[in-house]
Amino acid sequence: MASQGLVYDGCNFFRQRLVLSTLSGKRVKIKNIRSKDDDPGLRDFEASFIRLLDKVTNGSRIEINQTGTVLFYQPGLLYGGSVEHDCNQQRSIGYYLEALLMLAPFMKTSLKATLRGVTNDPVDPTVDLLKSTALPVMKKFGIGGDGFELKVVKRGMAPGGGGEVVFTCPVCRTMRPVQLTDPGKIKRIRGVAYSVRVSPQMANRIVESARGVLNQFLPDIYIHTDHMKGANSGKSPGFGLTLVAETLNGFFLSAEMSSTPQGQGNPVLPEDLGRNCAKLLLEEIHRGGCVDSSNQSLALLLMTLGQQDVSKVLLGPLSPYTIEFLRHIRDFFQIMFKIEVQKPFEDERKGGDKVPQPR
Amino acid sequence: MDGKVKEQKRHQAKHSGPKAQKKLKKQGGSTEEDECKRNPKAFAVQSAVRMAKTFHRAQDIKTKKHHIPLVDRTPLEPPPVVIVVVGPPKVGKSTLIRCLIKNFTRQKMGDICGPVTIVSGKKRRLTFMECNNDINTMIDLAKVADLVLMLIDASFGFEMETFEFLNICQVHGFPRIMGVLTHLDSFKNNKTLRKTKKNLKHRFWTEVYQGAKLFYLSGMVYGEYQTQEVKNLGRFISVMKFRPLVWQTSHPYVLVDRMEDLTDPERVRTDPKCDRTVSLYGYLRGTHLKNKGQVHVPGVGDFQVSDVNFLPDPCPLPDAQKKRALNEKERLLYAPMAGVGGVVYDKDAVYIDLPANHVNQQQEEVRPTTELVQSLIDTHATLDAKMAASKVSLFSGSVTLDPTDIEEKEGPHEKQVWDPNTQRERRAVVFTEEEEEEDAVTGSSDEEDDNSEDSEQEKEADEEDDNLSTFLKDARARSERTEKTAPPVKRQRVEEEMLVFADSEDDLEMSEEESEEKGQSGRAGDSGHCSEEDEEETEDEEEEDDDQESDDESTVELDQHFLNTLAKDKSDFIFAISSFHFHVVLTLIRRHVILFPSSGTLKWKEGLQQKASEAFLRHQEAAPNLRKLVYGSEADDSEEDKEELGGLFRVSRPQKSKKFKANAVDCSRFIPDTSHNWDLEEVMLNSIRDCFVTGKWEESQDAATLLKEDEELYGDFEDLETGEVHKGQTGEKDDDNDDEAEESLVKVDDEEVQKNKRLDKKRRLKERFDAEYDDGDATYFDDLKEEMQKQAELNRAEFEDVDDETRVQYEGFRPGMYVRLEISSIPCEFVINFDPHYPVILGGLGSSEGNIGYLQMRLKKHRWYERILKTRDPLILSLGWRRFQTIPLYHIEDHNGRHRLLKYTPQHMHCGASIWGPITPQGTGFLAVQSVAGTKANFRIAATGVVLDLDKSVTVVKKLKLIGYPYKIFKNTCFIKGMFNTVLEVAKFEGASVRTVSGVRGQIKKALSTPPGAYRATFEDRLLMSDIVFLRSWYPVSVPQLYNPVTSLLLPVGQKDNWAGMRTMGQLKHDLGIRNKPNADSLYKSEAKGISTPSTFPKELQKSLPFKSKPKQQQSKGKTPRDLQRPSVIREPHERKVAALLHALSTVHNYKRKKAHMVQHAKHKEFLQQKGKQEEAKLKRQKEARKKLYRVMGQMDRKKLRSSLKGAPQED
Repeated sequence: MASQGLVYDGCNFFRQRLVLSTLSGKRVKIKNIRSKDDDPGLRDFEASFIRLLDKVTNGSRIEINQTGTVLFYQPGLLYGGSVEHDCNQQRSIGYYLEALLMLAPFMKTSLKATLRGVTNDPVDPTVDLLKSTALPVMKKFGIGGDGFELKVVKRGMAPGGGGEVVFTCPVCRTMRPVQLTDPGKIKRIRGVAYSVRVSPQMANRIVESARGVLNQFLPDIYIHTDHMKGANSGKSPGFGLTLVAETLNGFFLSAEMSSTPQGQGNPVLPEDLGRNCAKLLLEEIHRGGCVDSSNQSLALLLMTLGQQDVSKVLLGPLSPYTIEFLRHIRDFFQIMFKIEVQKPFEDERKGGDKVPQPR
Repeated sequence: MDGKVKEQKRHQAKHSGPKAQKKLKKQGGSTEEDECKRNPKAFAVQSAVRMAKTFHRAQDIKTKKHHIPLVDRTPLEPPPVVIVVVGPPKVGKSTLIRCLIKNFTRQKMGDICGPVTIVSGKKRRLTFMECNNDINTMIDLAKVADLVLMLIDASFGFEMETFEFLNICQVHGFPRIMGVLTHLDSFKNNKTLRKTKKNLKHRFWTEVYQGAKLFYLSGMVYGEYQTQEVKNLGRFISVMKFRPLVWQTSHPYVLVDRMEDLTDPERVRTDPKCDRTVSLYGYLRGTHLKNKGQVHVPGVGDFQVSDVNFLPDPCPLPDAQKKRALNEKERLLYAPMAGVGGVVYDKDAVYIDLPANHVNQQQEEVRPTTELVQSLIDTHATLDAKMAASKVSLFSGSVTLDPTDIEEKEGPHEKQVWDPNTQRERRAVVFTEEEEEEDAVTGSSDEEDDNSEDSEQEKEADEEDDNLSTFLKDARARSERTEKTAPPVKRQRVEEEMLVFADSEDDLEMSEEESEEKGQSGRAGDSGHCSEEDEEETEDEEEEDDDQESDDESTVELDQHFLNTLAKDKSDFIFAISSFHFHVVLTLIRRHVILFPSSGTLKWKEGLQQKASEAFLRHQEAAPNLRKLVYGSEADDSEEDKEELGGLFRVSRPQKSKKFKANAVDCSRFIPDTSHNWDLEEVMLNSIRDCFVTGKWEESQDAATLLKEDEELYGDFEDLETGEVHKGQTGEKDDDNDDEAEESLVKVDDEEVQKNKRLDKKRRLKERFDAEYDDGDATYFDDLKEEMQKQAELNRAEFEDVDDETRVQYEGFRPGMYVRLEISSIPCEFVINFDPHYPVILGGLGSSEGNIGYLQMRLKKHRWYERILKTRDPLILSLGWRRFQTIPLYHIEDHNGRHRLLKYTPQHMHCGASIWGPITPQGTGFLAVQSVAGTKANFRIAATGVVLDLDKSVTVVKKLKLIGYPYKIFKNTCFIKGMFNTVLEVAKFEGASVRTVSGVRGQIKKALSTPPGAYRATFEDRLLMSDIVFLRSWYPVSVPQLYNPVTSLLLPVGQKDNWAGMRTMGQLKHDLGIRNKPNADSLYKSEAKGISTPSTFPKELQKSLPFKSKPKQQQSKGKTPRDLQRPSVIREPHERKVAALLHALSTVHNYKRKKAHMVQHAKHKEFLQQKGKQEEAKLKRQKEARKKLYRVMGQMDRKKLRSSLKGAPQED
């Protein structure tokens, strides 16, 4: 057969490549995965990710060489169904869930995925963040209806893990073309301050400090505290904050911060965490756009896989991850985005430039 | 007086003119309306049920008319309509095409070779294609046809080809089909002609649809059809509307009308069988085609398109739309395969790849002599680009250095190489590598902290010296080694200018640069300077060394400045977000610093500040750069290291930094840069204050303005309670203000202003009204339709003003474009055996349609196909674009969901089929033929069906019975051997249920150690040694992986319909003369006498059974014991005689009695008959009597009634 696969070097953007390969049906070969490293080859979490892909697909072929430095992936059919996966604890569930969010609407049967592992860590987008931002983004594209939800059953902080998340997504036949160009003004800020295996007072302290920063802008702020106990609290102590700003047109910008994992690095004061997280949110607002920086690639993917119609999305500055994603989309789908820069008006003070992206 | 009155002129009613008309209209209107009033009963509701029914019916009819609204994606200039002319041989296909072409274009064509495109009207073009009798061609053309002209020889009637083609169409989406009856002049009798026409028409209607158009072409005149009839047919064609077909609208495809072999002639000479590079031309149809996509050429195979570009339309529609008809010039005809339209073609500059030197000469001629002007004209590139293009030669005669060498571009670069053979530019991949110094730089740049750049540069300055020395040494060595092989720079430059759409990426940058150039006239001087340097360098490289140095340094400075500013206000533009880009910029600077240590005052220092600010401005307008940043040719992380770079440097060791980048942490989180200090309240907080609802609103959305607007509209009202009158803020006050302001300036017409204001207000009121009242009627359907309409408009608008070259990159090639596709490595037979009579189609494939896998389909043998199909017999399928041979497994789904293998397809039923073949979307139809070779008398299409599933796990099973024999029998337990061979096998089947032939059920318990494979099993009853035990199991069957594309186009000319693939088992046996040797067990033989053991039934069971089912106890009694035996009686002779006589007498008596009985019986029968007759007569009599009686009674009754009726008035 004439269809050659794509060849990549190195394990960077590993998920993007595999996800896009699965969606496009193009086989992919990734070479030189940490080949010069002391510990060469795929890491455990990547292997775990491949296993997850294998679970949701039917007929994928995966070949890894002896040292794990070369991966060949021939995607199968996205099947879906009920999937349970114990995620590797080197990365949080967000790592796996981000990919699953991209794949879920295109399954053959509706997906019900139970993921176990670390729900919150400082590296990846946490489950709470994805729940409050990624899902609304997907809803804008017409995915949703009954049984489209993400539930945090148990919370598990890094490094111990022990959390559990249930993600269900119905099958979506067609994506709706979208014109997300006017974000509107921010009308409210919501948030979750969570704490497990520490004093419940921690969450309150976080809320206090975060409100201190944000109250300068908006009175409508509600950050609720989520203290999980017993079996639902996972295996490690920790706390964190997720902030979501909702605009008038129903877009969500978010920021989050988690405490450093137990035994790794300096411990963080909850007050500092709250304040820094609030500043991160301000930064995110400064960047603006209709989709926040962590979901840019998701929105772009849904635009790519929609119908032939023109979709537009206003984004903040493109993150490096998104830029690479755009390149990968070109590789896998031969689709290029028309990128324009929208200049702010002179008298407006709305942060940086925005990037609308029609295709 | 009376007379006077009488003389008065009488009114004369008008009978004509506007007055009369008016009256008539009035009357007419009133009568209709009055009918309702005049006869209200007739219009009243008679029955609620009926009313409901009528309402429902009306609604049903209304809703039935609705179709799901789809977004209108038809291109503005659609591709020509493909008209396929089909029919059996000798039916007049070519003649019809010739006549139609003559009708439309007034041109005569000889041989119809390949597609013929003509302009038929102001808005329509047609492509005619003749379909020969080969089933391959029929299948291929059915997939691309918009309209099918189906020719039928009326003198003969329908032929199988017609029905075959109709069936193919039904499977692959039904295009418009128009029947054409020919050979009607062979009918001498008018009546038979009429009858035949009618019969054919009705048969045609049942196949296509009721009322399908059937054309009659009666008779030929001088070998052509009659002009009037052809004209009518042409009219029908040119006004016909087409339905969009699912497969066609979702796939791009090209019906190739021109083919060129681009292979190097030398290569062909040395190796005639080498793979060829061909370019194929044609109109793009269906949907958008992406460059570098995958295509399938039916009859050849799958290919990767190496390049696509669009050409000017060789057969364009007329420009002016005013006229009513086309003039002669606009009636174009384009058929390159038939050798028509070639001249136009050449003139039309389709050979866009002009040789570069030719273009160059032309340019030289017109070039102005003054260098300054020249440089101004030649500003084609930005500073960025120029820096990339500029070259430095360190020593006379050495290889030029250009920054692309110096910069660390760590990937293969493309190099435009002129290929004289193909007469076009080719993109060769050139691998470069990093330099030795690089790790220091990249290491530093990998640090996110951008502020440390300055210090780094200072640090680097220390390293400069030794770097320089090694650099120089290296360069010297190289210059000695290599002779002067300067690349043909000038040619490249020209090519860059001329070949605008040679390659997507380059193209992008080019257009950006050009646009930038246009926009920024202020920068012209700066960039002009650079270009001048560029120019000179190409002419004589050694001369202008100083100048170059200076220029390069200027750029260095400039970029430094830029960077510094960048570091400060980085957050203000997007450009800064990418660490990749910084990476590049930084290293760029470093190189230049190394090369040219700062020395002396040079002219470049003048206006440095200005240049820097300009550069800054330019980068701030980062739009094109963002595009470049994302899609530029940089950032290839996936290349191997090569040993050399630009012929100058050698890599001593691999870069660690680069590897680090390739293996960085895969995380989507965008770590914000720390430059925003949110603690600085005033500065930062204010910058985003307007993002919140509490901030300042835009003019149009501000609550105050909105309120004001409302007030203007609804301001006037009177408070009824208080009687107070509120006056709205109408224009007057504003006008006053305006007037005051304006009177001083200009005299403005007051009235006009007021009028405008009034109009404006009215309009707004109306809008509001419309919004309120029109919404009520809108149904869901209307909303949906409107939404689609909006989307369609948006789609159109988005790329409307973009030029085609750029547009093509975003949305792909539009349908309707005339494209040229280049395919490399096509088999040489395609070119050698090219026959224009056979269609070449390029069918675009979807993203996953290039893969092969398992497909599950629903299949039904065609009713007209004479034989049933056998599992594992190869079958040729036409699915999607493809035709291929594969080995299907037929199966049927049992009630429990099991897919059971079938040996043959059922006769009149659907069954499942699993194949190994190309992945095609679910719901795609397919058809199957057993052989494509030759024409057979009977119907060729064996089966049709649809793809159901693409599941890769095969679930077809077949029944497998394992047989074993008991060798030891206990009460209900048996030891059974012969079923398995090892203990392991038994272990796998532990707990499985087994059965004997006689129906005793049991279960496998455990394996026995000896003999191997024996096991213990328990049964519900005692077994006998003669029983056979079997285990019924289901064995999964694997689908054979045969996928053999039908490569009919590769066959020699004249034999293209003789493709033969894998033979079926039957054919093989027939060809090799092998007879099947039947299994001895399967043969019929006389039944061997076996020991039959009677079955025993429990007593209780016997009792409960009805007599019929009770076992009959008629076994032989066996020997009676001696004591019970009776002695036998032996008669005496006399006794014997008596007995014989008695027997004889009794026989006679019996006979007599029997005879008498028969007579008696007959008599009685007669008697009964007679009696019956009497009875019947009696009944008849009685019936008549009764009838009479009733009649009399009825008459009496009537009389009575009449008299009573009569009597009533009398009584009154």
